[in-house]
Amino acid sequence: MSAMAIVQAEQVHKIYDEGAVPVEALRGVSLTIAPGEFTVIAGPSGSGKTTLLNLLGALDVPTTGRVFFEGQDLSKLSRRERARLRLYKIGFVFQAYNLIPVLTALENVEFVLLLQGVPERERRRRALEVLEQLGIGELAHKRPHEMSGGQQQRVAVARAVVSRPRLILADEPTANLDSATGARLLDLMEQLNREQGVTFVFSSHDPQVIERGRRLLWLHDGRIEREERR
Amino acid sequence: MRLRDTIGLTRVAWRNLWRNRRRTLIVLSSVVVGVFVLVLFDTLNLGMVAQMLDNHLRLHVGHVQIHREGYHANPAVEQFFQDAATVQQQVATHPEVQAVAPRVLAHGLLSSAYNNGGVQLVGIVPEAESLVTFIAKQLVAGRYLHGEGREILIGERLARKLEVRLGDRVVAMAARPDGQIGSEVFRVAGLFRTVSADFDRTMAFIPIDQARALLGLPSDAAHELVLLLNDARQAETLKAHLQSALPDTLEVLTYRDIVPLLVMQRDLYAQMMYLIYLIIGVALIFGIINAMLMAVLERLPEFGVLRAIGMSEGRLFLLVSLESLLIGLLGTALGWGLSLPVYAYLAHHGLNLAAFSEALTAFGIGAVIYPRLTFRVVWNAWLIIPLVAWLGALYPAWRALHVEPVEAMRAV
Repeated sequence: MSAMAIVQAEQVHKIYDEGAVPVEALRGVSLTIAPGEFTVIAGPSGSGKTTLLNLLGALDVPTTGRVFFEGQDLSKLSRRERARLRLYKIGFVFQAYNLIPVLTALENVEFVLLLQGVPERERRRRALEVLEQLGIGELAHKRPHEMSGGQQQRVAVARAVVSRPRLILADEPTANLDSATGARLLDLMEQLNREQGVTFVFSSHDPQVIERGRRLLWLHDGRIEREERR
Repeated sequence: MRLRDTIGLTRVAWRNLWRNRRRTLIVLSSVVVGVFVLVLFDTLNLGMVAQMLDNHLRLHVGHVQIHREGYHANPAVEQFFQDAATVQQQVATHPEVQAVAPRVLAHGLLSSAYNNGGVQLVGIVPEAESLVTFIAKQLVAGRYLHGEGREILIGERLARKLEVRLGDRVVAMAARPDGQIGSEVFRVAGLFRTVSADFDRTMAFIPIDQARALLGLPSDAAHELVLLLNDARQAETLKAHLQSALPDTLEVLTYRDIVPLLVMQRDLYAQMMYLIYLIIGVALIFGIINAMLMAVLERLPEFGVLRAIGMSEGRLFLLVSLESLLIGLLGTALGWGLSLPVYAYLAHHGLNLAAFSEALTAFGIGAVIYPRLTFRVVWNAWLIIPLVAWLGALYPAWRALHVEPVEAMRAV
């Protein structure tokens, strides 16, 4: 295992056994994500992108094979320990933004810090700082239903970065956005990656996301078909 | 979990409550009505049983009684004690004691020209007795005893039975300590009507000297000293004091010793209230489970997101619990807000149950019931209702906990 790796998958298989016929979503995937990467896992629908992202983000465990996060075998962690790992080390950006509807933008960003037990004054300061950095300070007191999709997704990015995680996983982050808004969101993420060294892993089949990836992993039928570095 | 996390989560829980305003208001109103009913029912119930006990105590029993040792177990006419006036003076010096009255007591027969009936003859010092019990205020005809002459007070019901009126003569007969039968003629001076039908049928009051003469007792003899205290709760303490201060030949009893059934009944009523709490609690809990379950099920994807961003199971459980607990606390506060003015009105004017007064009189309660607010009522409502609300959240919270982030978010 690479000493530098943030997350590493070794011969990972994932079989969903819920329906009449078991579905093998991943068939022996191995990969390593190093700090500072801007990686896109690309592939058609059903190729296993989201499944792989869920495993890398400690949201799920593989059927066989192992996933290590900073050297720690995730299959050996309890649900509680995995939740704690996600809270402190991983940020998520979801396709449907998934902000908490009753909270304002500022409170949504603060929420992760609340869960981390950060004192109120500090979490407010940090949340505001991130919103300003991301150019959405004016949205601080708006609730999700008062914001456009692009604005909500920017707030979701702010929520993901505010706790300074080691890794941010973004699952189809531009799927619900028009291309101009999607492009602005990607600019923002690239900027965070470049200036603050935040590590991003995307899953997407959106050409404009794929275009931006500095490392591309093409997934097909649960296998990494090819890898490109730019 | 730190307090500041809980405060933060409470804010989120509060906002979550108002996502579906109508649903929350419906559940909330059921809690409010539940608390309103409980508070009024409990306070009226407490008032009723307290009145029943008070009426019995102020009618005849008093708070503390002093007899010759063994009288309570065997209330025979020869079980009198002497130097009653000295004991009375000694007892009256205690600051807890408001008034003391001596009595001479005998079971006897009261006969008129038409009928007769068994009675408890009570020889009293009229002035002293009127300070301890309220028999003097219960007269419906005639006047109270002067303390001189052969006059008698009887209940209206007994008068009807004997077919006598004011001024008519009745003959009282009772066994004396020497085994002879004493008898004397008395003139009916007054008729009383109390809250107890039984009392009105069986009690007859005569001046204490007449009673002593009838029974052939010494002039300083008494069967009983009745004490009224400033506060009934001091009875047990005073009993202990008096027991050590008075000679061993005297027994000191509190109303708990004398009418244990009434005290038990009062305590039983208090226990029965818990049954009412249980019934209302069960009715409330299903409404709360239903509302919370709906609130949880429609937010499963959101709970998945919360789990994904690292919210622990404990915090998620706390969040759902807090939502329900807030309904319970708010409902209890509003229920109190609603019931206190009604309570205040009833505490001042009373609840007039004249329509049922016959039955209430038989129970020694009186037609007007005044509710009583105790710390127990406050404590019960503030503890039990929010607890019920919290219990109602357990199953919904359990459902929320078993959300797998991946599964839940798939539904997004």
